[in-house]
Amino acid sequence: MSDILKGNFTPKKQVTKPDDTIDDDSIESKFKKAALNSIGGSMVYVERTDLTWDGEE
Amino acid sequence: MAKILFINPVVREEDVPRHIPYGIALLAAIAMKEGHLVQVYDANAHRLPLDTIIEVCQADDWDAICIGGLTTTYNYIKKACKLIKESAPNAQLIAGGGFLTSMPHEIFEWIPEIDVGCIGESFVTFPEVLKKIDNKDVNYSDVLGVIHRDLTGKSFLTNIRPNIKDLDTLPWPAWHLFPLDIYFANSSNLFSEESFTSKRRMDINGSFGCGLTCKYCWHLGTTGDMLVEENDNGENDVVFTYGRNIRYHSADYIVSMVKHLHNEYDIDFAAFIDENLMTMDVASKGTWLKELCKKWIEAGLQPTCRQQGIPHDENCKGVHWNGTSHAGLHRPETLKLMYEAGCTHLVYGLESFDPTVLRNLGKGSNARKNKQSIATCLASGIKPIPNIIIGFPEESFESVRNTIEALVELGITAKPHFATAYPGSEWYYAYKDSIMEQYNQDLEAYIMDLGDASKITATISHEFSPMQLLGLQQIVYLKDLRLLDLSEQHWAPVQEKLTPVIQPKMSFNLKTVKEAGPLAS
Repeated sequence: MSDILKGNFTPKKQVTKPDDTIDDDSIESKFKKAALNSIGGSMVYVERTDLTWDGEE
Repeated sequence: MAKILFINPVVREEDVPRHIPYGIALLAAIAMKEGHLVQVYDANAHRLPLDTIIEVCQADDWDAICIGGLTTTYNYIKKACKLIKESAPNAQLIAGGGFLTSMPHEIFEWIPEIDVGCIGESFVTFPEVLKKIDNKDVNYSDVLGVIHRDLTGKSFLTNIRPNIKDLDTLPWPAWHLFPLDIYFANSSNLFSEESFTSKRRMDINGSFGCGLTCKYCWHLGTTGDMLVEENDNGENDVVFTYGRNIRYHSADYIVSMVKHLHNEYDIDFAAFIDENLMTMDVASKGTWLKELCKKWIEAGLQPTCRQQGIPHDENCKGVHWNGTSHAGLHRPETLKLMYEAGCTHLVYGLESFDPTVLRNLGKGSNARKNKQSIATCLASGIKPIPNIIIGFPEESFESVRNTIEALVELGITAKPHFATAYPGSEWYYAYKDSIMEQYNQDLEAYIMDLGDASKITATISHEFSPMQLLGLQQIVYLKDLRLLDLSEQHWAPVQEKLTPVIQPKMSFNLKTVKEAGPLAS
């Protein structure tokens, strides 16, 4: 039984938790969060997903 | 009976879910009491992908889907409303809470999917709206306290809904409809040893409002501070005042509720989310908190560490608690009773230690009382948690210096919040034009940017730019008077030649008079 919805009756369809966990649960996301919390000195974080440089000067 | 879905929006995405939404839990209980079929989707607790809303909306044939929260939930609510209307077009989309009441017409323009909104206190308004929906009547023009649309989508605000008189007539919130395990897993916080070791904390609310008129604060109709009047265009709009309908639950109501939570959910900590326990105590002529503490102990809720006068440890039984206080209104004898009953820490909005800042704030405190409050609270055994702010309209190098010197003297380390003009506050209406200038005239962008005031959104400081405020925040955190002196040497002569960063103005939406909204007879 899903516990995503809770109430005083049984809905027609059950809501299931998605198989794919959201980004916040991924190791990459956890790493990013921890890294951003430690920024300072030589500790930096480089966004890998938003890289826009295409190699041209 | 109507089939209703409540959606609790995600708030403070950067933090774990910590608070069962008290308002939604209360409205869910009221709806069930009226015989409606209710389901809750707690998006804040589950933190699932946004489009889970589609599946939730398609899980049944909802008559109404309800969403609401503070202004800081606006981002999520806006996205959610679009998905809700697309996936459940036949359901009436009802909104409520602070995000809507503070600026009803703007929100209706920005989120065209909302069908009807409850403005201000919704304990009576919400069931009346549900009754309409149950009767397939979606003409809300005769319901007090709502904003609704005509066929073209234009918004209309009906006249004001009186506040209820007796809070004890309210049912207990429907806590069981929320994923409590998720909240219990985040019970611990860093305010006191007892709260740090808490395993099962839940929030409770004993009162509505506060008698003070702090310029950063907002009540949005729940304290009798709101009127509905015709604006210059002849349309009803909200007007906020210094008016108050002070109301608090009886000690019996609160203690029996906590006893229930202790018996049913084994809670070890109750966090009062009241705006200010001390102003309520003043309103009761100093009897409310004393009675509450006495009955807390009589009900067997007193923690064993306090009962036996021993250090708190993992074997402690009972229910510890915390709340909010005020530097000028707390009394040593009351604090002592609160400690005995299990109070662990009290949040004090000291904000500043500068005489000018405090005099203009409407806080009813001063630098001397602020300083004394720390020692008075500590002497009772309760830990004071002082909140500090910088970036006040009249902030100066001297005011920052006064605050740092007091922090050094009192041994307080604080990374201050930035003065932020939340919708519904006096600051918001006074500085709305300047805020819009800072957001390229896009007010919605400002609303979407608002968080918990730990970052700068729009500055309302007349003298300091965002760059300077960021530096001053770090200097206050470090309590570094040397850096402050150097900064003043460099910047003060420059600032004398600059025009003020921003300036205040008058606003239709704010009346600085003690004119209270109606109270039900």
